Amino acid sequence: MTDDTQALAIGLRRRDPDLLDRLIEQYQQRLYRYLLFLTGNPALAEDLFQETWIRVLERGAQYNGKSKFESWLFAIARNLVIDASRRKKISSLEDLGDPESNTPYDPPDERATSVLQMLVSRENEQSVQLSLLKIPPYYREVLLLRFSEELGLEEIAAVMATPISTVKSRLYRGLAALKTAMTEGVA
Amino acid sequence: MNENLHERAQRLLAESIVEGLRPADETWLREHLAECPGCAREAAAAQNVLQALRTVPVNVPRDLAARTQLRVRLRAQESSTAASGSFWLWVVTAASWLLGVFSAPLVWRGFAWLGANFGVPKLALEFGFVLWWTVPPLLAAAIILHQKALTAEWGNKI
Repeated sequence: MTDDTQALAIGLRRRDPDLLDRLIEQYQQRLYRYLLFLTGNPALAEDLFQETWIRVLERGAQYNGKSKFESWLFAIARNLVIDASRRKKISSLEDLGDPESNTPYDPPDERATSVLQMLVSRENEQSVQLSLLKIPPYYREVLLLRFSEELGLEEIAAVMATPISTVKSRLYRGLAALKTAMTEGVA
Repeated sequence: MNENLHERAQRLLAESIVEGLRPADETWLREHLAECPGCAREAAAAQNVLQALRTVPVNVPRDLAARTQLRVRLRAQESSTAASGSFWLWVVTAASWLLGVFSAPLVWRGFAWLGANFGVPKLALEFGFVLWWTVPPLLAAAIILHQKALTAEWGNKI
């Protein structure tokens, strides 16, 4: 346990409001991006963003400082996304945890992608990001955690509560799926 | 150069992205990419995609952090108020229970005195005695429900 994570764990246990303010500022971009790409829905991403931090406040005592804070944070956010998808039956989030169920994936509609287009600020990067929305969420999620959030394989496995071998196989398949989606986008 | 070499290059390229390569494989891949324009194009395209993924620039709604900070602070305040509120509620409940137990004989005598001096029917006296016991917990329950309703209303407004 490093001094930083230990201090963080103590602060969270005390429900230190200044610490929480700092964390919200620090992780706003990464957490919102993760939620936005996972849900494809800006309004839902905002709700879940706020809910995630409420959970951090309420369950701060459960963070033991042994893992990276962001792994714990993303795991909370991920569980909220799964809960929301069950509650609201969001098609793009179905089977987030079960790629082997193999129901055909229905990409988000044009409206969702155009909203995302407005939120993604650089035009030349839009094709990659819009292609991301066309691949199944369980692949999208690992790609985001690995390459956007730059989490290690073990950290991703902790966030998703799956073995590292599953993370690796989803990364390989996700990259292949992204490549296909991008090729189709160009064609 | 046969097809197997390109397939190996593709496999190693994917491996290098996902989990990294052993030095020997890394050297082989580098040499192959230097000689094979097709695989080198694939490698460059993959790097571009990774670069785009690394820098996914999403515009966070301007006041999202501020709204979240406010909501978190309010929730923290609310739970600490609720915690101290329920502590005092427990204290008052315990005190009222003890008082109820120890004052029961006096209260019963009081009701008997009322019956003897004012001719109150026995049924009314018994009903009054039951109320003496049930009114405090009913009031406490009403206060708790009212507090919960206020909290929910407040939460919806945020």
